[in-house]
Amino acid sequence: MSIKSLDPRITRENLPEEPDSKPLENIHHWQTYEVFHQTKKGDRHIHVGSLHAPNQEMAVILAKEQYSRRDKCVNLWVVKTADIFSSGYENEDIFETTPEKTYREAGGYKVMDKINKFKKERKQQSN
Amino acid sequence: MKEFNELNDKKTTAIKDLLYRLADDQLILGHRNSEWTGLGPILEEDIAFSSMAQDKLGQSQALYQLLHQIGEDDPDTIAFTRKVNEYKCCHLVEYPIGEYNFSLMRHFLFDMSEAIRFNMLGSSSFEPLAKISKKFKGELKYHTMHAVTWINQLGHGSGNSPAKIQASLDECFPLALGIFEPSGYEDILIGEKIFFGEKELQEKWLEAVIPVLKNANLKIPDIKNIKASYGGRKGIHTEYLKPLIDEMTEVYKIDTKAEW
Amino acid sequence: MYGGGYIFEETKNGSPENEDSRKLEIFEARIAAGEKIEPTDWMPAEYRKQLIRMIEQHAHSEIIGALPEGTWITRAPGFRRKLALMAKVQDEVGHAQLLYSAAETLGKTREDMINDLITGKSKYSNVFNYPAVTWADTAIIAWLIDAGAIINQVANSKGSYGPYCRALERICVEESFHLKYGHDNVVFLATGTPKQREMVQDALNRWWPPIMHFFGPSDKISVHTETLMRWKVKMASNDDMRQKFLDMYVPKIWELGLTIPDPLLKKNEETGQWEYTEPDWQEFKRVINGDGPCNKERLAVRRRAEEKGEWVRLALLRSEEKYTVPLS
Repeated sequence: MSIKSLDPRITRENLPEEPDSKPLENIHHWQTYEVFHQTKKGDRHIHVGSLHAPNQEMAVILAKEQYSRRDKCVNLWVVKTADIFSSGYENEDIFETTPEKTYREAGGYKVMDKINKFKKERKQQSN
Repeated sequence: MKEFNELNDKKTTAIKDLLYRLADDQLILGHRNSEWTGLGPILEEDIAFSSMAQDKLGQSQALYQLLHQIGEDDPDTIAFTRKVNEYKCCHLVEYPIGEYNFSLMRHFLFDMSEAIRFNMLGSSSFEPLAKISKKFKGELKYHTMHAVTWINQLGHGSGNSPAKIQASLDECFPLALGIFEPSGYEDILIGEKIFFGEKELQEKWLEAVIPVLKNANLKIPDIKNIKASYGGRKGIHTEYLKPLIDEMTEVYKIDTKAEW
Repeated sequence: MYGGGYIFEETKNGSPENEDSRKLEIFEARIAAGEKIEPTDWMPAEYRKQLIRMIEQHAHSEIIGALPEGTWITRAPGFRRKLALMAKVQDEVGHAQLLYSAAETLGKTREDMINDLITGKSKYSNVFNYPAVTWADTAIIAWLIDAGAIINQVANSKGSYGPYCRALERICVEESFHLKYGHDNVVFLATGTPKQREMVQDALNRWWPPIMHFFGPSDKISVHTETLMRWKVKMASNDDMRQKFLDMYVPKIWELGLTIPDPLLKKNEETGQWEYTEPDWQEFKRVINGDGPCNKERLAVRRRAEEKGEWVRLALLRSEEKYTVPLS
């Protein structure tokens, strides 16, 4: 006897009423890819997630529907996860720099005081 | 609309016949392919295949809407309440989904024809159809990209994959030739520059699919000795269509006057 | 769709006492400060284990959840419903994909998880062991089960594990379409012909007990959760979520003139809490352990889908390429 389902698709599958409980014998792992999308030309590509695919051509084909079936998208990049090299969160502290690096910030340069003082002195001199 | 009123009867009949053929193909194949939703061979492909089935249904709805504009009933009514012999779909789309190789091969052969067909229809003298056809372009391009990539990779795949895909090609090919069954209106459609005709479409289709199949290492069926599966365009269908239509209209028919 | 309450059992021997106390302290301080934990961060073994279980069960619930509604996919009435149902079931498959990826970052492969699903080792939300008897059942599922799922998932999206939160963010956006679609569907039936009303009332009668089960056993009888709460794995109590659901949706059901099949259901105005007939937790247990109306079928279908797809996955496999745990 096979399973007579409320779902006609399932009934057509002729599934055994007592399903097997053995694990699947052959487990095949495709590679994983990381997906980046660009919502419009001029924007940056942004990481949106990962997927399983056997190669990069297929990764693009599959990423298209999983990662841009709703949102606007003009371009997708896929990168093999294995090819991504990360700085590592264990090194997160390398980004903690001392705050007194005003010499490389626009706000670190305030010359109006000097200019005003200079202008005032010039004015006094000419008087 | 003015342009519709100017259509003479014969031309209108020819256009309606064409639209029903196109829309019915998409409706039926969209339904078939939707059966894979949640049951596909890998999650990512499940999602992609479902999207393409949605595209098919959406496209058929647009064509039924066009039919409605030229005097037929509303899309839901004409899509879901006709008798089986009033459907004009080809046999290829009627078959059950089978194994994934069958569904993929059908998807490849059919959508290659759709891409060419709607590209040609983009310059139809029947403006509303030309306009709709152009809108289908992006979706069909993705469908053919998807199909070509899969066929090529499975043709070169390991295990029994090449044999399975070859078997599906052999099974689908006579059915696929049925896509190009000439209608009774070819002359007027061609004469009025509404559509280039099924014969020309078939030639273009062969030019497109054969290199892909060769690239995929597949043996091309001996076209001259194959009998195309004709009849669908005249309302003569396979045994598979009626149960499918009964199924897809089961709820709708509980009460056709109700709003679902 | 379906987070579906915290139905997993907590293991009692996995206490964090065996962990490096210094690392544990930093870890807990980070979580307390609202920081997210990322896959390569240090984490207690028990945190990893419970997250895998939870996210995996969530993912299974999505892929199995595609089946009850999928029951009506070939029969949905008319273009609008057919397209919407396809898109919704497709989203559930998409959610499974996102959630399996999130769980994979913790070190268990998708294939291992699916294997644990089809051998019955790993559970999924109990509601999907019930059948979608008529078209109206799909409407009730899409509205009320998804509504329950949103309550659960919004809470979980504020949890501590980065990849799970990111997946849930996107999932919640898509769920809001499901909820609207489901509500629209129920409204059409409830305000439609007598036959349609009858269908939707019947479906509500069938689904009410599973909906009450959906958030998991009452806090009175569920095991301790203090550590998981502190680690922001578990974000709300089962009873709190159930109350929230009742608060939001009972009035919406009533305004359609539908009857909820629980004579004791009412809001106690003094306590602000809903009172209801205690769900049958024996049945809940029985069903979750395999003896529900559809357990066998659901697993048989998933197994068949995997078996049918095996040659496809094998065909494109390149032996020289190795699986890598996804990044985030």
